[in-house]
Formats: sequence, structure tokens, C-alpha cells
Amino acid sequence: MKLISSLLEMDFSETQKRICRFIKEYVENAGAKGIVLGLSGGIDSGTIAALSSLAIGGENVLGLMLPEKENFNQKDIDDAKVVAAQFHLETQVCDMSDALCGLYGAIPVFDQSDRLCKGNVKARTRMIYLYYYANKQNRIVCGSSDKSETMMGYFTKWGDAAADIAPIMDLYKTQVRKLALHLGIPKELALKPSTPALWPNQTAESELGIKYETLDLILYGLERFMAPEDIVDQLAVEKTLVDRIKSRWLANEHKRRMPLAPKIGYRSVGNDFRLPRHTY
Amino acid sequence: MKNKIKLALAQISSKRESKSENLRKIEKLTLKAKEHGADLVIFPEMSLTGYVVLDQVYELAETIPGPSTEKVEALAKRTGMHIIFGMPELSEKTQATVFNTAVFVGPRGLIGKYRKMYLPTHSVFEEKRYFRPGYEVTAFQTDIGNIGLSICYDIFFPEVYRLTRLKGAQLIVCISASPAVRKSYFEILTSARALENTAFLAYVNLAGVEDGLQFWGGSRLVCPTGDVVAKAKYDEEDFAVCDVDFSDLRTAETFIPTLRDLRPELFDKFKECAEKF
Repeated sequence: MKLISSLLEMDFSETQKRICRFIKEYVENAGAKGIVLGLSGGIDSGTIAALSSLAIGGENVLGLMLPEKENFNQKDIDDAKVVAAQFHLETQVCDMSDALCGLYGAIPVFDQSDRLCKGNVKARTRMIYLYYYANKQNRIVCGSSDKSETMMGYFTKWGDAAADIAPIMDLYKTQVRKLALHLGIPKELALKPSTPALWPNQTAESELGIKYETLDLILYGLERFMAPEDIVDQLAVEKTLVDRIKSRWLANEHKRRMPLAPKIGYRSVGNDFRLPRHTY
Repeated sequence: MKNKIKLALAQISSKRESKSENLRKIEKLTLKAKEHGADLVIFPEMSLTGYVVLDQVYELAETIPGPSTEKVEALAKRTGMHIIFGMPELSEKTQATVFNTAVFVGPRGLIGKYRKMYLPTHSVFEEKRYFRPGYEVTAFQTDIGNIGLSICYDIFFPEVYRLTRLKGAQLIVCISASPAVRKSYFEILTSARALENTAFLAYVNLAGVEDGLQFWGGSRLVCPTGDVVAKAKYDEEDFAVCDVDFSDLRTAETFIPTLRDLRPELFDKFKECAEKF
């Protein structure tokens, strides 16, 4: 296998069809009235918003915009509105600033200078808003995690990855961008740098230390059991880079699974209790 | 025995764990097949229960004969139809040994069954965790022709089809629960198995989504020269009626004489190599 960018090409019409069918069937079988999703103005949330709208109709999709004062970015709000208007979504703006301030003050050991811990509080607070609307309005929470960040563990545990369905979790970031363009999302939005928006000026690629174009090919090779040495040769990258990506991918499995429990019983949750996920 | 028969490919989406609802669907489509003048209606692999049932398979599995096959037998008797469908079969001799089985019933009752020989246990599949493999290929001589049965992943093993053909099957039925990522393999293999054995091949796949697995449908009848002569829609439930004219076999067998040219001594070699592999 030659690791080249064309490997990440796909029939995006077919991909769109499959994802929309998946969303529609899940929502119908669950007996839900619709979907709620976080609409950040980023590419992943814009793409799931578009797909959800195409699957079940924009009138059944609620995009929550969840700004907060420390990280407020009018451009993100404007971009979110562009997608909402284009795909006829319902929207709701919820300013999280007061909720976050309350939380910061209520945690005895809260440390304002620890931006990672503080950022994770923001991601989990967004989850609380989404699930509140889901519970109250009988909606499904649609997650926006993609395959690149999920494999890398580049997300907040029980935060942004917390959802009922994850329609683009099997697509690498570069594939999500192309799918977004295929869906008609404006190029400027589809190609803008990704950010978890946990603190000002945070970007995914600078934190991960690699461009998605390269990262996705490394992950593609690892997914297909390629030896790291072969990936290094083919992509002409440093061995330390591939080793670092592989280690990070493996080390973060705990974030992608149910909590680990000691095996005690006959059948155990998250282990050998293998039951179908019923949505009806 | 009839020389020409009409088949109905009943590409359904099963409701998981709801045998009663799936039996209602089997009944409805059997009646529809009869209306279309079909002799045989074929439903997908595990169509009685749905495919992704995991541990629930122990609650769902039934013996054959059993309550569900008796209902389908009664339906076949009432309509004069032949019916093939898939279900988890519970061994009569143990309490938790299950087979992934294709059941064949006709107007006079149960004709026979086939237990899936090759159980995929890779990628998203974990059949060996739940099922015991079958050990016998089947070809049933019936009023509507000599018909062999196979299930899904069996199609990757040409020896299953060759044996089925050598047992006399002129129409080989493959019931399936194939997810979309494997569509291209099945499109190639259905034609290949028909062509190399100069047999008709009726492939009937599930449609719908189970636990994120999207079954691609695409059920089809392939003629003995490998051409797809009837095809159901991709992805969604569909119903296709098509004709099998067994006299076409003679034309195909003379033009592609793979059965005449069979070399039995290679099978000994095959066994020897496979054991040492």
C-alpha cells in the first residue's frame, strides 16, 4: 500500500447517503423528536449540522451556540449562523459565562492558571447544556468527533465526545473537510483551522504538532496494521513522530471505552455483557 | 420437476429480536410472492431475528422444527409456496449450542436446513463466539429444482460452492447479512461462484441498519454465465421477482465446461496442502 493522499478520497455522495440514513434511522427508531448538537462555527459541527438537517429536516435540528466570555469569538458565532441559515436549522444561543463562573467558584481547588483542567470544565459544561435540551425536548445528542481526534484522544473525556450518535467518527479530518465541501459548506468555513475552543487562540494542529494531511495518513497506515517503519519510509517523516502518534493513539484507549471494572461477575458491563444497542 | 421457476428475492430489514414482527413480514411477502406467481421466496440471513443480536441469540435460538419453523411451514402449506429464510438454530441435544442456519420449507413441510460452515470472526463479525459451524453442504431435490443453500461468508470459499454443485444443486441460494463496506467483494464473488460452477445463484441480503452496521441490499439472481439478470435496490428494502430457466444450464455448461474439466486428484492435493498450511 502506498500512503498517498488519494487513499483518503471517497465517494462523498455515497458517504453522505450512508450517514444520513444512519441518522434518520436512529432518530426514528429512538422515537425522538429530533437532534440537538453544539454549533461552534467549526468544520466538524458544521458538517454534522448539515448532515442532520439533510437526514431529518432542519426544523428538527437544534444547533446550540454556547459562547462564554473568556473565549468569545464573534467570527465563530457568525460562521455557525451561516451553516444554520444554509441548512435551515433552529438555533439557540446560551451564554455559558455565568454557569462557568459558578462552577469555578464552587470547586474548592479550582486553579484559574491550569488552562487544561479549566478547558475540560468548559467542554463538559457544553455537554450538560446539550443533554439538558435532549432530555427536555426528547432529542438525540449528535456528536461531532472525527476519527483523527478520536484516535489521538484529542477530546475531553465525557465532554465533547459525549453523545448518543457520532456520525462522522469514522471519517478522518481531511475527509470531513472534503465532505463539508461536497455538502456545500462555504470553503472558507470548511478549511478554517480546527479548534476545541477551550482557551483563546487554541488550534488543533499546533497542539497536536502535526498537519492533519500528514496525521491522517499516519493514522490510516496504523489503522491498517502498517509497521511504523514503513510509514516513516513512505511519508519521509521522522521515526519519533510516527512513534509519538502511535503511542498517543494506544495510550488513549481509556477515553474511548466504558470505565474499566475488575472482572467479578458472570457477565460484566463494558466487558462480556454483549447486548445489542436498541433504539426502539 | 419444473424446468422453469420464478423466484422472489425478499430483501428485508429485520426488526431485531422481534420474531413475531419478522414472521409477519415473511408472511406478507410470501403472499406477495405468490401473487407474482413465484414458486420460491427467499429471505436474508438471520431474517427471523435480525443479525446483530449478540448475547440475545441464546434467548432467540429455536430448534428446527420449532415454533417459528412450524409457523413458516404452515404458511408454505397454505400458500403452496417454497420459502427460504435464516435463523439462529438451537441444537436439540444441548441448551446453548447455536447454529447460523438457512431453513428451506415447501408446501409439504420442512425440506431441509443448512448450517453455515464458515463463521466470520474478524472486523465487525464475531460469529464464532456464538455459533458452531455446520459440516455439511446441501443440495435438495425438490419439485422446483435441485437447490443448494449457503450463507454469506461461505461465498469466499469456492470449495463450498463446488461441493454444493457436485451434489447436484443447479440453483445455489446464498442468504446474507453483508455490511456496506464489503459490497464490492460480494458483487464480484456472486458472479464468480455462479460462473465457475455454471449454476444459478440467488443472493439475498439484508437491508437496513443494525448497531451502526449498514446492510447494502443489492440482492440478485446471477445466471450460470455470471451475468446479473435481476437485482434489488441497494441499501433499502426491496422485492424483486425473476425467472430461472434450468434449460439454460446446458448452454452454459457446454460453453464453459468447468464441471467436465474437473480434476479430482487436485482435491487430494488441496486437502494435503490445507492441512499443512
